[in-house]
Amino acid sequence: MAASESEHLHHGVAHGESHGGISGGHYPGMWVFPNPRVMTREMAAKVSAMPQMFTLGLLLTFALLVLGVVGFVARASADGFDDRAPWGYYMATFSFVFMVTSAAPVAAVAFRFTKSHWRRPLSRVSELFAVVGIFNIIMFIPMMMILPPILNPNPVQGHDLEIRRTIWFEGPIGAPHAWDLAGVVGLAVTALFILYLSAVPDMAEARHTATGFRGWLYRTLSGHWYGTKRQWNAQKAGLAMLGAFYFMTLIFVHFIISSDYAQSMIPGWKDSIFPVFYSLTAFQVALGLCLVILYVMRRWGGFQEYYGKSVFWSASKVQLGLTLLWAYHLFAFFITYWFGRLVVEQNIIKYLFAQSYGGVFVANLALSFVIPFLLLLWNPVRRSAWGPPLAGVSAALGALMFSVRVFVGGANSGNIYEAFLNHVPAAAYPDIWDIFIVVGGIGGAAFIYLVATKIFPLLSVWEVKEGALYQGMRRFIRGEYLVLAKPE
Amino acid sequence: MAKRPILGLFEDAEYAAEAGDALQQAGVSQSDYDFLTDTPYPEGAFGERHEGHRLYIFPLCGALVGLTVGILLTSMTQMAYPLVQAGKPILSLPPMAVVTYESTMLTAIIFTIIGIVFESRLPNFKQGLYDTRITEGYIGVLANVEEEQLPQVSALFTQAGAVDVVREN
Amino acid sequence: MQEGRTPIPYRQINRELLFSILQSPKWFPIAIIILGLIVLGGFSAAGLLVNKGFGVTGLNRPVMWGFFITNFVFWIGISHAGVMLSAILRLSKAEWRRPATRAAEILTVFSLMTAMMMPLIHTGRPWRTIYWIYTIPFMPYDYARGIWPNVRSPLVWDPSAVYTYLTSSILFVLVALIPDFAVLRDRTTGMNHRIYTMLAMGWRGNPRQWKLQIIAGVLLSALILPVFVSVHSIVSWDFGMAVSVKTWHSTIFAPYFVVGAVHSGVSAVAFVMIILRYIYGWQNYIRPEHIDALGRLLIVVATGWFYFFVMEILFGFYGREADELAVRDLQFMQEPWNIWMMVFVFTTYFLPVALWLPRAFRRNLWIMSVACISVNIGMWLERFIIIVPGLQNKQVFTFSWYTVYSPSAVEWTIIGATFALVSMLMLMIARVVPLIPLYDIKEYEVLRTEVKIGRVTVPAVYRED
Repeated sequence: MAASESEHLHHGVAHGESHGGISGGHYPGMWVFPNPRVMTREMAAKVSAMPQMFTLGLLLTFALLVLGVVGFVARASADGFDDRAPWGYYMATFSFVFMVTSAAPVAAVAFRFTKSHWRRPLSRVSELFAVVGIFNIIMFIPMMMILPPILNPNPVQGHDLEIRRTIWFEGPIGAPHAWDLAGVVGLAVTALFILYLSAVPDMAEARHTATGFRGWLYRTLSGHWYGTKRQWNAQKAGLAMLGAFYFMTLIFVHFIISSDYAQSMIPGWKDSIFPVFYSLTAFQVALGLCLVILYVMRRWGGFQEYYGKSVFWSASKVQLGLTLLWAYHLFAFFITYWFGRLVVEQNIIKYLFAQSYGGVFVANLALSFVIPFLLLLWNPVRRSAWGPPLAGVSAALGALMFSVRVFVGGANSGNIYEAFLNHVPAAAYPDIWDIFIVVGGIGGAAFIYLVATKIFPLLSVWEVKEGALYQGMRRFIRGEYLVLAKPE
Repeated sequence: MAKRPILGLFEDAEYAAEAGDALQQAGVSQSDYDFLTDTPYPEGAFGERHEGHRLYIFPLCGALVGLTVGILLTSMTQMAYPLVQAGKPILSLPPMAVVTYESTMLTAIIFTIIGIVFESRLPNFKQGLYDTRITEGYIGVLANVEEEQLPQVSALFTQAGAVDVVREN
Repeated sequence: MQEGRTPIPYRQINRELLFSILQSPKWFPIAIIILGLIVLGGFSAAGLLVNKGFGVTGLNRPVMWGFFITNFVFWIGISHAGVMLSAILRLSKAEWRRPATRAAEILTVFSLMTAMMMPLIHTGRPWRTIYWIYTIPFMPYDYARGIWPNVRSPLVWDPSAVYTYLTSSILFVLVALIPDFAVLRDRTTGMNHRIYTMLAMGWRGNPRQWKLQIIAGVLLSALILPVFVSVHSIVSWDFGMAVSVKTWHSTIFAPYFVVGAVHSGVSAVAFVMIILRYIYGWQNYIRPEHIDALGRLLIVVATGWFYFFVMEILFGFYGREADELAVRDLQFMQEPWNIWMMVFVFTTYFLPVALWLPRAFRRNLWIMSVACISVNIGMWLERFIIIVPGLQNKQVFTFSWYTVYSPSAVEWTIIGATFALVSMLMLMIARVVPLIPLYDIKEYEVLRTEVKIGRVTVPAVYRED
């Protein structure tokens, strides 16, 4: 009964019927099997090409970055770094860029871990965010100056705390600044190692054909790589170990950043779910933005033959799961605080959810949950190339709203040494420099990513080639089906 | 004249598919024959017709019913006991959310189950022509044809490699 | 993937997997009698409790929630294995789910039923629980002595969630059983045949029915998953909504409980599968690679759980509130709680994960059994350590005479009996329905294939999108 005869796979494109129906259980465009022979050459051509749209994007994002620098300088000269309140939007921008940058490589790491074949076109797009990690480190340096000391400088006032509530308690040496910085730097460096290790085989393949800076870089970085069995094994084991290490570090760094720059900024906000919620928001937005990049490159970058719809279809399920988990964690927080009805709990709900940042919260909820959920609920939308990225755009805007609500709220909550938030502070609206900072931060990150795509192609060539060995179409009785092989 | 069933039993899925092809060539409509198996084969494996269904409507309707019932039940209950507890409003939305959520999901699931049974055309205790060897791994090709076509279809099954051809007593 | 296994003919699959139903093993009646006696002991103890009142337990103010509620949360936790395995693995199309789903789903049903008995016994006067459901407007409530129901209480949410989950799980199991009932219908005679005929509802196995069956599996999985998450969350909110008991009012409780439930539940399923393999000789179906896959999944779940645990504890200290620190002091510094705490963390995380890390250990069924039992001992203790110390420090100055909660023989007997009850029900159901879904195993036999890469042959499967 079992079709156990060993056959080789064939890699023709699965053709659907013209009316968009299924054929042999397949939807049109779901699976593509790129030609391994021309892949390296085509990718090299794509990396060196400078289409008009790309140049325009590069200029635009660079202009935004310049605006951001102007905003930053203006803010620093006007307000200095002594008070955290004027820096709320800077913190929110950092948080947003950091969430995306730090969580994006997890898409490559996690789906490599689960050995999902569909991940292959996604891997490099997500790993490339590692380069933006450098921008994160630069953006983080002023953040250290904004952070108020743990020990209260004027401890005698009223009922103020002598030591403010932080996850560092009484402050081990260097806490929180040095530890936070170590976390952000460690994360960025690990991500770069992952990118390097993953890109070595691709660089080695292109090192003799690439010219100029790229040629020099490829030769320098991949000189030792010959693709021996031993090297492949070492590379895979290295990626697995670095991936596990990265994930654990990421969760920890999310915990310290979200606690130091948001939670412990609001007196009496004790919310054990918040670090989890922060990480979830980050995963949701990072995966969403990776899909946006895939869509853009598929639609306008000539990657149609490399990114099948299966990557959107499979990733969309994870996206839907993350969206639901996001709402679930939000509700778990909300119901506990709402039911508790302590004064501080009610004030925090009023501050961050209902009154001061009520509008931002509604936008956050709509963009991070309602819109993605209503989109991703439908099979045809999830099976399309546009649906999951659209949900990704929504989630990205939602994550920005989230960062504004929580980080700007944290910066403007008033006296940080109070035992509890016993009033509802007013919302802080952005001024022109804040707007410059927000667009500059996001534009700067995009600029660096765009530059990175001119160093590494947006395809993990070795991974896609490897995938071609394990998946393909094969006839079974009267239909033609996908065959997936999984080596143990 | 009424159609009569005839069942060919095949050990090999390829032969069963061939029997299907032969039936089609013999002018038997796709709605008049069916493949009976002991396990799901991928859709279209026997070259059978595409089966449409409306299962997805059931959970949606169920969810709407459950949502309505949930909202009514929880809000009316709260209004019926107008006692303030721990400073919560009489009509509190957050506690309503949980029970409403459960009733929505419960009704959606119950409707889905009804949908599955209905769309599978079950229960159908008048089983008709069947052979217990199907649950041993044989593939049954069940055709409903005019009585005079029975010998032709029987021969066609045998030719395609049927190990047995079963007719009504 | 089933590594290098030779194909199994359908007749053999039927014979081997229906063995527990069509033949009765010699040990079966003896096992049922022994387990039945323990269950009887439990019911007698519950009868004594109803007759004599709560005085026969170790419960006393302020610790009014003890073993029964701990056990309630524990069994609800075990019930999370079913949907976790069958739904998530079905949705992610993991091939190794096939032999595990049915047993997991049935374990869900029985552990939920057992869990629901706990609060009933805990009320002391179970017949009065009829008033629990009389909180809807047009039904009478027990007004007579001026008692008002708290209709906004999380204790109202709990039954609604558990009954939703129970109903859904039973329906989920039954729908997936229809094709297997048809196999039994074709293999039985007399009364049994008539019953299975009715249960199979006239199933024939045509493409339409199979298509619906497959969609049903996915759709119901997607619908039950959110219910499954809600159930243990709501159980956690039984505690988390209370401000008066320190350490309970934590926002992370819901996901922390859910992940813990998955941890203990999946461990329990792995253990049940090992037992089933042993007693029914299902070596062909429950293979070391399946247990290995469960082990790998458990490392991830356990580590996730540990993260939530650390967050819960850390933010307990973060608040630096004196009354909460007092409970933490009790949990971490005072005997016997500090010892239980160490045992709990060791048995829930460090021991099992250490045992799951080496591949050879994951494929050793004895070691896996030890690890899985260890997790469940730890998870039982976890609930106990959450519930009792918090209550013990509630209203500290009022009950200053209170020392420590010490469960009585009645409580021990009832708790022991719940384990016997679930084991007995699992054995009994194995006499009636196949605990490994036949058609799922057969489907794999149809879909399996191989891919040749150079000199290597890699196992593969046919897939629809």
